[in-house]
Amino acid sequence: MCASVKYNIRGPALIPRMKTKHRIYYITLFSIVLLGLIATGMFQFWPHSIESSGDWSVEKRSVRDVPLVRLPADSPVPERGDLSCRMHTCFDVYRCGFNPKNKIKVYIYPLKKYVGEAGVPVSSTISREYNELLTAISDSDYYTDDVTRACLFVPSIDLLNQNSLRVKETAQALAQLSRWDRGTNHLLFNMLPGGPPDYNTALDVPRDRALLAGGGFSTWTYRQGYDVSIPVYSPLSAEVDLPEKGPGPRRYFLLSSQVALHPEYREDLAALQARHGEAVLVLDKCSNLSEGVPAARRRCHQQQAFDYPQVLQEATFCMVLRGARLGQAVLSDVLRAGCVPVIIADSYVLPFSEVLDWKRASVVVPEEKMSDVYSILQSIPRRQIEEMQRQARWFWEAYFQSIKAIALATLQIINDRIYPYAAISYEDWNDPPAVKWGSVSNPLFLPLIPPQSQGFTAIVLTYDRVESLFRVITEVSKVPSLSKLLVVWNNQNKNPPEDSLWPKIRVPLKVVRTAENKLSNRFFPYDEIETEAVLAIDDDIIMLTSDELQFGYEVWREFPDRLVGYPGRLHLWDHEMNKWKYESEWTNEVSMVLTGAAFYHKYFNYLYTYKMPGDIKNWVDAHMNCEDIAMNFLVANVTGKAVIKVTPRKKFKCPECTAIDGLSLDQTHMVERSPA
Amino acid sequence: MQSWRRKSLWLALSASWLLILLRVFPVLRLAEPARRQAGAPQGWPRWLDAELLQSFSQPGELLEDGPQPPQAPRGGSCYRGACFDASRCRGGGLKVFVYPAVGPISETPRKVLTSIEGSRYHTASAAEACLLILVLSPDTPAGECHPELPQWDGGKNHLVLSLHPAPCLRIFQLGQAMVAEASPTMDTFRPGFDVALPLLPEAHPLRGGALGQLQQHSPLPGVALIAMAEERGGWRTVGTNFSACPWDGRCEQDHGPKQTHPRATLPNATFCLIPGRNPDALHFLQALQAGCIPVLLSPRWELPFSEVIDWTKAAVVADERLPLQVLAALQEMPLTRVLALRQQAQFLWDAYFSSVEKVIHTTLEIIQDRVSGASAHPSLLWNSPPGALLALSTFSTSPSDFPFYHLQQGSRPLGRFSALIWVGALGQPPLKLIQAVAGAQHCAQILVLWSSKKPPPPRWPETAVPLTVLDGHRKRTRFCVMREGRGTTLLSQASDRFLPYSAISTDAILSLDAHSSLSTSEVDFAFMVWQSFPERMVGFLTWSHFWDETQGGWGYTGERANEFSMVLTSAAFYHRL
Repeated sequence: MCASVKYNIRGPALIPRMKTKHRIYYITLFSIVLLGLIATGMFQFWPHSIESSGDWSVEKRSVRDVPLVRLPADSPVPERGDLSCRMHTCFDVYRCGFNPKNKIKVYIYPLKKYVGEAGVPVSSTISREYNELLTAISDSDYYTDDVTRACLFVPSIDLLNQNSLRVKETAQALAQLSRWDRGTNHLLFNMLPGGPPDYNTALDVPRDRALLAGGGFSTWTYRQGYDVSIPVYSPLSAEVDLPEKGPGPRRYFLLSSQVALHPEYREDLAALQARHGEAVLVLDKCSNLSEGVPAARRRCHQQQAFDYPQVLQEATFCMVLRGARLGQAVLSDVLRAGCVPVIIADSYVLPFSEVLDWKRASVVVPEEKMSDVYSILQSIPRRQIEEMQRQARWFWEAYFQSIKAIALATLQIINDRIYPYAAISYEDWNDPPAVKWGSVSNPLFLPLIPPQSQGFTAIVLTYDRVESLFRVITEVSKVPSLSKLLVVWNNQNKNPPEDSLWPKIRVPLKVVRTAENKLSNRFFPYDEIETEAVLAIDDDIIMLTSDELQFGYEVWREFPDRLVGYPGRLHLWDHEMNKWKYESEWTNEVSMVLTGAAFYHKYFNYLYTYKMPGDIKNWVDAHMNCEDIAMNFLVANVTGKAVIKVTPRKKFKCPECTAIDGLSLDQTHMVERSPA
Repeated sequence: MQSWRRKSLWLALSASWLLILLRVFPVLRLAEPARRQAGAPQGWPRWLDAELLQSFSQPGELLEDGPQPPQAPRGGSCYRGACFDASRCRGGGLKVFVYPAVGPISETPRKVLTSIEGSRYHTASAAEACLLILVLSPDTPAGECHPELPQWDGGKNHLVLSLHPAPCLRIFQLGQAMVAEASPTMDTFRPGFDVALPLLPEAHPLRGGALGQLQQHSPLPGVALIAMAEERGGWRTVGTNFSACPWDGRCEQDHGPKQTHPRATLPNATFCLIPGRNPDALHFLQALQAGCIPVLLSPRWELPFSEVIDWTKAAVVADERLPLQVLAALQEMPLTRVLALRQQAQFLWDAYFSSVEKVIHTTLEIIQDRVSGASAHPSLLWNSPPGALLALSTFSTSPSDFPFYHLQQGSRPLGRFSALIWVGALGQPPLKLIQAVAGAQHCAQILVLWSSKKPPPPRWPETAVPLTVLDGHRKRTRFCVMREGRGTTLLSQASDRFLPYSAISTDAILSLDAHSSLSTSEVDFAFMVWQSFPERMVGFLTWSHFWDETQGGWGYTGERANEFSMVLTSAAFYHRL
């Protein structure tokens, strides 16, 4: 459209000399060519949508149609897991190479059906959960379909439940994978390890060096820093709709909902209930189930029936006892109900314990202390319990909720091990979103005792007011702590005065010439700034004396993460006008200081230049104004702390006032953290 | 003429349409199969019968996995629940007994003994202690490793502590004792049971200790990026321009300007590369003190106090097999993160490592945390200033009760204060002061601490807020209180006023003397100031302390000047901590 208009506009200037028929002819020709171009463009873009829908239909296949692989009886079996494996011994980092995005690449083997010599299948082809897990990986950023570029390999052989596979044959199937190589860089997922009678705590399938993401590790089988402990997924997470219930005291103090418990534990629980009565509720299987309700959804205490998992929301603490396996799916249900898990399973490696701080969401009690559990729990203050309830729910939402959450957390942990310098932090893993949004992590948590004085660098922004500039320089140079003076010459049309004309001062004076007349130049992190403290001063601030400046610097040393300045301003929310108002009146309240004369840490220069959000910097440069407001808001947002205004008065007005003097009162007026 | 024109027009039109069709359709036809061949990322297929797949567990399998007898812990190894009997600590909290030294001992074990004895957990009787510590000396000959210990009992509730690699530790029959050892190897370390200590230099000070060396937190342009720990104990700085691995002997080419520093000098660089071998752990502390970010190359030893300290905030653990990647990552690390790592390194040094006493007290604090279970320090208290040694878990375990963590938590101190008025030995009832304070907007309660010899008056003035009278002990003690990490030591004649009274319900306390004279608006203003600085003392009267050259002691002056170092608690706000 645009183009045709353009031609029409140009037409009159060019065409008047031609005859009318030629004109029509040319116009028609132009429009035809234009139409042609548009049509070409449209056809260029169409095929994409056509094609993708085509692919979609092609991909649909049935699990039953996957290729069959027959395993000879004498095909090799991998060695048993190597317990001494660590990331720097058993993991081949060279395969991960350098990735600019610091993300590992994961390859998934295509699905095959493995049968033994006699044609008996090795295991069920794939379970619903494992299919979900592989889909989640395939949809994530980690996935690659290029086996040569992959750093981690995930077999499509379903190992989630050891009971549903044949151990030796599965191991043979693993060993014949195309990139197996003793299991290096292979990741296996397993949730239910071991089998009767002795229930090993790790998958029994020989797996050599492969990493194991397992549910129910004990400290004996868990290779610290190599394996990943994952939760046992509870199918109820998807089946049941359980609205969130806020923290707070609940009907029962302690609840046990597990069905299959060892008689010894049953006795202990019964004793607990006898001692504490109503506060403790111990549930068991229902003997007479009503029709249509699955056993998993029902629990009974004597004759009274309860809905599960709803009943978990009625309790403050919920027991998670060891069964034959250490990892119990009930942990997921308990967390979801916002009930604080009381974990009684010695040597159990809690899910994702490498990164999650379980102290914040659970109570771990040694098995031999089970009889004391009530008094241990009673000693926890109420506020902390509420915090734990909130944390428990958050853990479920973030890491237990779905198979996808479990898979991605596992990959993130492995990714963080391989690229530790890009790892996500403790806070990212553990803080619930409410805390993350509400908190400010001040980038400058400098030592509480100010370091030895290094002095400060004064930066004077000037355009052409040479005379007042020289007066400012002379005045500032008298400040004892000044270590360097930097003049930012913002005038491109005029050269700064010759060296001989500058006032002679005792500290080095340097003139920086800028390429463009921009206000942001004052906040550029020049290499010449060697001190931490920076004094930004305008070339017309001649009323400040050297002792006032020295005092401002001493105040800054005490509060190195704040802006310390002289002229104060106030901004406030005008309820009538529904907008922000800016005031320069002298009031008792101040929300910002002008950077015409202010001390701050040089780090904020860096932040202003490189990290200023949005296009604020451009706005400032275009309008040649408001750079001080931008700086004030930047500092307040980043540190969460207010500015400090230092009074420009030299002496106290009333030396006879005995009650009021001192830094905090007379000279610094504080306001609440800026709402910006 | 007319018809010719029309004809030519139509001709042109149809010709161009033909052109378009000819151009576009082959493109279309070619494009489609080509695209399908490339196949795009195929991904994991969406199975037609995905809905019909079986779940990984049979219904009910998750509920009943066959009840098993609880497994007995396997012999030989320990975890906390089995080997450490915490119930012995139940009564009076953690009590620590240390076996006295036998014969002459060298300096470091003596420092350790002194530190333990100075701890608030120390007890002189082995019977009431729930933790018994045996300090191993590095210079005990291997033959004399088995001291006769009456309370040994298979090592139960014992901690074997050795600040330096002691030969005894290798042959000692540890039994069920915990081991606190300097940089233990990862293979023998039992997480949650043993304690990893830092490898301290011989001359580490007992108390105090040097502050962090870092003057500048943001790296200077001229300073070397990387210092490499040398085997002999020095440091070698490497310039910013290097092409290959500085730690692999194989590619010893041009590393740019290179400087070797003698032993014991601190490295002046942004990152300090420390090889993973055990003896190099000594470099780790040096780097920490210098504020040089430790980059550990596949360490084979456990980082000190790894149970509680989140080292990812202060150090980088890298894989020594990927030199180029690691170097590139270090070079590209954003300034914000460099700054955060350096500051955290400095904080950890100051809080836990700068003296033997701090190291020992941290060890005891970790064990105390294990004993106390749910009321242990949360991770935030360990890993942010002022550190867990100063933020006592006996006060509270909730970070929002402390004045230090409001920013991280997004919380703020309670918006009210309690006024605590101390009436000295000869004091009169401060009726006027009570009226003035009670009128303040944010005042929640007034407490009068009556230490006067005279009996308190029978009637107190009517006030809008509750007024409580506490009976002072009339005992005069000299006592020092560490002010909340500010390092200011306050000397007070009457420490009663600093006792943590349970009657105080607010975070803020306004401490007043009976003879102070304040107006209501002054109190309100000071409280507003305190709300902005909850971790500081906000006061009205100031004094200075200074080092008196002529007298060789600390001087103390009440002269009003622009500089001061303390405020008098006769009229000051502070946190109830």
